[in-house]
Amino acid sequence: MDLILEGFSLMFSFDTILIILAGTILGLIFGSIPGLTATMAVAICLPISFGMGPSDGMALLMGLYIGGVSGGMIPAILLNLPGTPSSISTTFDGYPMAKKGLAGRAFGLGIMSSFLGGLLSIIVLVLISPPLAKFALNFGPFEYFAVTLFALTLISSLSEGSLAKGMISALLGIVFAFVGSAPIDAYPRYTFGMDALGAGFNILPVLIGLFAISEMLKVIEERKKNTINQKKIHDYKIKGLGFSPITFIKQGWNFLRSSVIGVAVGILPGIGGGTANIIAYVTAKRQSKNPKKFGTGIDDGVVASESSNNAAVGGALVPLISLGIPGDTVTAMLLGGLVIHGLQPGPLLLEQNGPIVYGIFAALIIANVFMLIFLYSGMRGFVRLLSIPKHYLYPAIIALCVVGAFGVNNRLFDAYALLFFGIVGYIMIKTKFPLTPLILGFILGPILETNLRRGLQLTGGDFLPFLTSPIAATFLIIAALSVFFSIFKTQKEKKMAEESKKIAS
Amino acid sequence: MKLRKFTVLAFLLSLAVLLVACNDSGASSDGGNESDSSDYPNKPIQVVVPAGAGGDTDRNTRIATKYLSEELDTDVVVSNVGGAGGSVGAKQVLDSAADGYTVLAFHNSMIINDLLELADFNYEDYQLAGTSVLDLGNAFIVSADSEYTDLQSLIDAAKERPGEINIATETGAFTHLQLLAFQEATGTEFNLVDVGAAAEKNTALLGGQIDIIPTQLGLVQEYIESGDFRAVGIMADERLEGAPDVPTFAEQGVDITFDKFFFWAFPKDTPQEIVDQFTAALENVTNNADFQAELEPLLVEPLYMSPEELQAHFETLTTEYKTLHENSQ
Repeated sequence: MDLILEGFSLMFSFDTILIILAGTILGLIFGSIPGLTATMAVAICLPISFGMGPSDGMALLMGLYIGGVSGGMIPAILLNLPGTPSSISTTFDGYPMAKKGLAGRAFGLGIMSSFLGGLLSIIVLVLISPPLAKFALNFGPFEYFAVTLFALTLISSLSEGSLAKGMISALLGIVFAFVGSAPIDAYPRYTFGMDALGAGFNILPVLIGLFAISEMLKVIEERKKNTINQKKIHDYKIKGLGFSPITFIKQGWNFLRSSVIGVAVGILPGIGGGTANIIAYVTAKRQSKNPKKFGTGIDDGVVASESSNNAAVGGALVPLISLGIPGDTVTAMLLGGLVIHGLQPGPLLLEQNGPIVYGIFAALIIANVFMLIFLYSGMRGFVRLLSIPKHYLYPAIIALCVVGAFGVNNRLFDAYALLFFGIVGYIMIKTKFPLTPLILGFILGPILETNLRRGLQLTGGDFLPFLTSPIAATFLIIAALSVFFSIFKTQKEKKMAEESKKIAS
Repeated sequence: MKLRKFTVLAFLLSLAVLLVACNDSGASSDGGNESDSSDYPNKPIQVVVPAGAGGDTDRNTRIATKYLSEELDTDVVVSNVGGAGGSVGAKQVLDSAADGYTVLAFHNSMIINDLLELADFNYEDYQLAGTSVLDLGNAFIVSADSEYTDLQSLIDAAKERPGEINIATETGAFTHLQLLAFQEATGTEFNLVDVGAAAEKNTALLGGQIDIIPTQLGLVQEYIESGDFRAVGIMADERLEGAPDVPTFAEQGVDITFDKFFFWAFPKDTPQEIVDQFTAALENVTNNADFQAELEPLLVEPLYMSPEELQAHFETLTTEYKTLHENSQ
């Protein structure tokens, strides 16, 4: 308790609060622009933080992190463009809500879920991170392989109708992930002798191309047909929080489950917020009494996505703070930042630099509050974005997407990849292939392969340990049940549809 | 319908134009070549680190850039370009404008990338600028409760159970070469498992998935202090000043040494005056007391090698590494 107070006192100087404020706003801006992410915001500001003391420097980075993860919901809800990988599934129900004129409700729920999800994960981080991190250490290659395989089976719930199309989409994602140096032996695959392909495709141009560029192509095409719903979205009125407290209380269980998923996925190094929101969304859909309503603008979808992605922040910090192991790309950079500030990350960080670590916790909470205040007060302003004619707005967004893609590795190749995946996404939308399985396959494919190969290296080629590890076995069983269950459900639905046809005729 | 297609087409075209425009601006900076190099540097210098953030390459480079930007009186900005054992970032520098505003900061793996054919270029394709940091703490680390208390117990166990003891590496990385050298020098055989980069190695050792990790002593001292890890030895001629308790391999009868040096290199054809200016700044940085003080707790030391010395060092090591690699096949 003393340490928590000490941490807060470290952060409660006027300058530091201002720094957190600036970090949060900048993070929100980065998060809200498709193509710019929390990772990039942290990368750009890392050198700036070196000029500050360790506590101010970390305060800045925490503000950026929280802001960057939260800002993604703005374009996701208003424009159907996920600003960051963390907000992919926010588009599923957030955008349909906005189309119905309920953008205020979507924002209200999204912001509140983000805030509470973030807060919950910070509390977990402060209170029980050492034992959680120790538990995460039980995850070796076998366990990672099993968890990833399980996550891949979620594709069946994301396939919107045709399971076959969903599978093809996911496999396509895995194939795109093959391009470049293979994990483990760095053997170049599908590079066609091009140096640029040697590093493979980066997640950001793939995501932004698939979701943002293709969406914009689609809108441009539809523009001629009608000026869809544009009016409706900015005609709405926001009252108070945008939703009634009872609505949120009804979401209590969904919120809690999604946040726990966010924290858990965040803790596992390498998987991160981009996957957490999809897993939370699918779980919410599967456990819902009305899974059919998902995707039409249901509260549950927004709550699941936004609470889990912010909860993943606290999760990713658990192994960083207690063991010195980064949980995602942002925390990898924070690790570098800590070292350069002279703080050796590792099991002794908390013991040797307690005040600073608690300062980091305090900064996270403060940044979370700023995020809440800013998004709420800005809500009305964001919606004004939509009154900008699309022929001005979209070129600007596209320019930013290109800049963002280029900024990933400072390579023009990534900007071309963005265009390529934009066209791929557009073709997929036109031919009614779901996009989310592709991105899931793209993210999870390499994790699956790497851990399979590492596991086999460990066992000398023996598959048995993948089944005998208790954690791995549990996840493999869940994966098998998940596949079986979804096949069973589709069959049942088919039968019901046939029967209702018979009755009708 | 036709009109709609046209709109989409026009849109794609404008996107393409935008991309080409980006490309042009990249190309036009080539023109900087011809301009007077006497006012160098008059804009920020980009340092390409061909590895991710959080590792020792990134750390050592970022610390040096703080001082370099003071010396050169301009911003020195790090960008991480990971992939393919570092060859992607290295290649990017090779292909960038030779105007002194893009520089590579890398280490020994440049030789190994070439040996393992991850890259079709090597140090000779660059204009070398010198070194800034030397890391002699190439250590073997085990869990604190491990049965391997010294090298001899490790060698004995490996002879008893050849190919069964799990030792971590990243295929094609510097540590991979160290393991090959160790196996050859001691006549042992280990099960080499790729567990990933530095942080992932720590995770694997903490989680008990692996028996030994070869890594930089400076990256694990926190874990040694906390009683989680123990250092079996370092592959250096002498014990480190900052870690006098860790014995060398030579003391334990295994005569292998490795040094990890962090060098800077420009694309070929960068004007000599510019490289000279950068090299001079690099030398000043290594002599800066603040820089030295900042490196001390990390168990690495400042080391300036001139481009000529660096070239010679590269030549020696290339022969040495080549022999090692060939013997292991």
